[in-house]
Amino acid sequence: MTAQEVRLCGLLLREHFGEVVEKVGTHLLKGGAQNLRTIIHETGISLDLVKKSLCVLVQHGACVFRSGRKGAGSPTEYQTCCDRILRILRYPRYIYTAKTLYGDTGELIIEELLQRGHMTMSGTIKTVADRLTQNMEEGRSMDYSEVSSAFFRLVETHFLQRCPPLAGAEPKDSATPAAPAPPGTPAAPVSTAPPTPESFPDCYKVPHVTLVGRGKRQLASEDGEDQRNAKKAKMDSQTHGDEGICWQVNFERFHLHFRDQAIISAVANKLDQTSSEIVRTMLRMSEVTTSPTATCTKPLSANEIFRSLPTSYNIPRPILDQYLTLLIDDPMEFVGKAGESGGGMYVVNMHRALANLARATLESVVQERFGSRSARIFRLLLRKRHLEQKQVEDFAMIPAKEAKDMLYTLLSQNLVQLQEIPKTPDYAPSRTFYLYTVNQLPTARMLLQNCYKTVANLVERRLFESKESKRLLEKSQRIEAILASLQASGAEPEQLTEVEEMITAPEKQQLEALRLHINKLDSAENQVDETIFLLESYINSTASTSLLNDIDGVRLEGQTHIDLDNASRAGH
Amino acid sequence: MAEVKVKKETNLSDATEVENRIKQLCQQFPHGITDQVIQNDMPQLEPQQRAMAINKLLSLGQLDLLRNSSGLLYRMKDVQSASKMKGSDNQEKLVYQVIEDAGNKGIWSRDIRFKSNLPLTEINKILKNLESKKLIKAVKSVAASKKKVYMLYNLQPDRSVTGGAWYSDQDFESEFVEVLNQQCFKFLQSKAEVARDSKQSPMVQRNSSFATSHEVWKYISELGISKVDLSMDDIETILNTLIYDGKVEMTVIAAKEGTVGSVDGQMKLYRGVNPVIQPTGLVRTPCGLCPVFDDCHEGGEISPSNCIYMTEWLDF
Repeated sequence: MTAQEVRLCGLLLREHFGEVVEKVGTHLLKGGAQNLRTIIHETGISLDLVKKSLCVLVQHGACVFRSGRKGAGSPTEYQTCCDRILRILRYPRYIYTAKTLYGDTGELIIEELLQRGHMTMSGTIKTVADRLTQNMEEGRSMDYSEVSSAFFRLVETHFLQRCPPLAGAEPKDSATPAAPAPPGTPAAPVSTAPPTPESFPDCYKVPHVTLVGRGKRQLASEDGEDQRNAKKAKMDSQTHGDEGICWQVNFERFHLHFRDQAIISAVANKLDQTSSEIVRTMLRMSEVTTSPTATCTKPLSANEIFRSLPTSYNIPRPILDQYLTLLIDDPMEFVGKAGESGGGMYVVNMHRALANLARATLESVVQERFGSRSARIFRLLLRKRHLEQKQVEDFAMIPAKEAKDMLYTLLSQNLVQLQEIPKTPDYAPSRTFYLYTVNQLPTARMLLQNCYKTVANLVERRLFESKESKRLLEKSQRIEAILASLQASGAEPEQLTEVEEMITAPEKQQLEALRLHINKLDSAENQVDETIFLLESYINSTASTSLLNDIDGVRLEGQTHIDLDNASRAGH
Repeated sequence: MAEVKVKKETNLSDATEVENRIKQLCQQFPHGITDQVIQNDMPQLEPQQRAMAINKLLSLGQLDLLRNSSGLLYRMKDVQSASKMKGSDNQEKLVYQVIEDAGNKGIWSRDIRFKSNLPLTEINKILKNLESKKLIKAVKSVAASKKKVYMLYNLQPDRSVTGGAWYSDQDFESEFVEVLNQQCFKFLQSKAEVARDSKQSPMVQRNSSFATSHEVWKYISELGISKVDLSMDDIETILNTLIYDGKVEMTVIAAKEGTVGSVDGQMKLYRGVNPVIQPTGLVRTPCGLCPVFDDCHEGGEISPSNCIYMTEWLDF
């Protein structure tokens, strides 16, 4: 956890769960695995509150507990990981995706589960039905079975999964002391971490649940009571046969979906709509057969692709072959050919596509920040790996003085690195080659940290703006409450206007401006989150591929042999 | 006695005769003659006399001494150039020779000193002399602006010295390069659009959106925006900058030797492309472009709460 990640997690925890949880959470993030007594002692918060905060964190999957390292008898230790907390930033995107795929019902199911962390199926269905009924017209209500079917569909496509049973009840593999993951395994969690939900065979099995009924419309009541009711878990006396089986949102599946979407839109931008439809079909066909960490999908034959194309795209077979050939020839290498059987076997190169997208992100950052000429130099260095200053000037066709200036600016921002190749053992500056180079992976990591800092800045600014106008906001809320109550009890229009005039015009303007600001900051957070997603996927994908390829020794991404030919040709 | 006299006379007359004969031979073989040829022609000539005659001709400046793989060559010197050097002494001739050898790349004064082993002051004097006689000229090198290289007066400086088509008077013409850049890009872009609108099969569409470097070269030459003649290599460097701008992509295909524009059996094809992603989310926020990003932290002079860039951006 870097400092920026911890700061961002703290802000997110504070916004969603309050200050106490924030304190406990950040303490756990900074301190690693600790037991209860240490937490209480070091944060100075009372036992009761610490217990409740830990409950909240565990409920949302942010904190895991296991028996202590010192042996079977030592107290349980709690550990937080910032990944899960950073996902909070992406909740709006998950909810929106569910809405586009499964409609309002799906959206509400995902929203409920995200808010509650873990919930049983019956509980979810009832709550969602109630909410849907709330928004429908008088006299209509939502049937449980409709919500159940939406739930089934979500489980079928693996967007929802069962929570893993508690670590204590599990076989030994979760409690073994830390052993280094044997080389060659795909990116699996280290054996000390709790087992993934996927390692259980029942992960996606829907329990048999007896749930008959319709959603209940909530009666109009005071605001205070509503709040209290919403916070308390609805204690239902009915049992439905699925106690103890809690469900959670499967973030990985959503991430795969986002990744596929990114690839499809990149293909649409670069080539055309039809090619992107073909790639979409290929990805849809390999949804269940490809593991999440694979670098490319399983080979699909052209015949299969032709059969699975959506019927609205009436492409004759030879044209499909042409499109596939074009996709293969494209320098971005989205699609590759893996053989000739079945009319040609094609794969989607996901790792390559992610690398290209990450590279485009880096280039776009340099372009917007430093100008298109610096972007030219940056792309040149990405292509040619190592170049001397003179060569950079010649290839980029930029006058020497300006090129030097731009290179030094990029160097000071650490986007470009300098590689020294000495001619003599004493590294004398006049007898050393200095080559400029760009390493994609470390630069991506650096930009990712910048993104975290940016989001934290945006969140802080938003909190600051709300705090500044707190008085005004409270006043407007009070007035709205008065208006609502007056309207409900039937008042004359003059009274209403009188109440409305309690807010002056400049105050109204201020409120309006505040609303705009906060919306802008919110949407900016979402946009930066998209960048975060791309960079994170690229870094994870590279880490897992290099782990797979690691046979003898460490081979870092981006480190290649230096083109000595080029260097010596320019040499003196 | 008389024989001796006669011999002497024949020797003397022989000397001039020998020289004339050698000159005639030189004229017969304009590429140069070797010792062997002279010996074959005048077998009765002693090597010493031959050497004397040749030396006389050399010092008169009528003969050029060259060396090739098989030995020494003597060549008739141009009468005109011979007249030029009249009045110059040996040192100047040596320096002139050295500069002439450098061809159109020119030679630096320090290199002249190495080659001729003359002291610096002498060199400078001789260079000034030769320049005033309009036999050599100094050309400023584009690589190091303080360095002057000398070459013969009537030679065109080589591209590496003047920088080629992109430099005029030692200045890099960036606007010229920019204009060419945009023109090439527009040409490729319009070609790609035409191909896209033609609604034919995708393969044909893609192939027709390609343009060979030869076509681009012809288009630019016909546009006539360039004062100097641009070669195909120049156009290829411009197209390469477009590739580094991310606007154009290139493929190489094998072409028959005879087709127009092919170099070594290959042809380079260029086409305009669209960017793969929109400008990324990070740069849509002020923090992504902030020059003081690293100094910003909560509670400091520069912090998100009092950031002026954010204030401006929010009110936009």
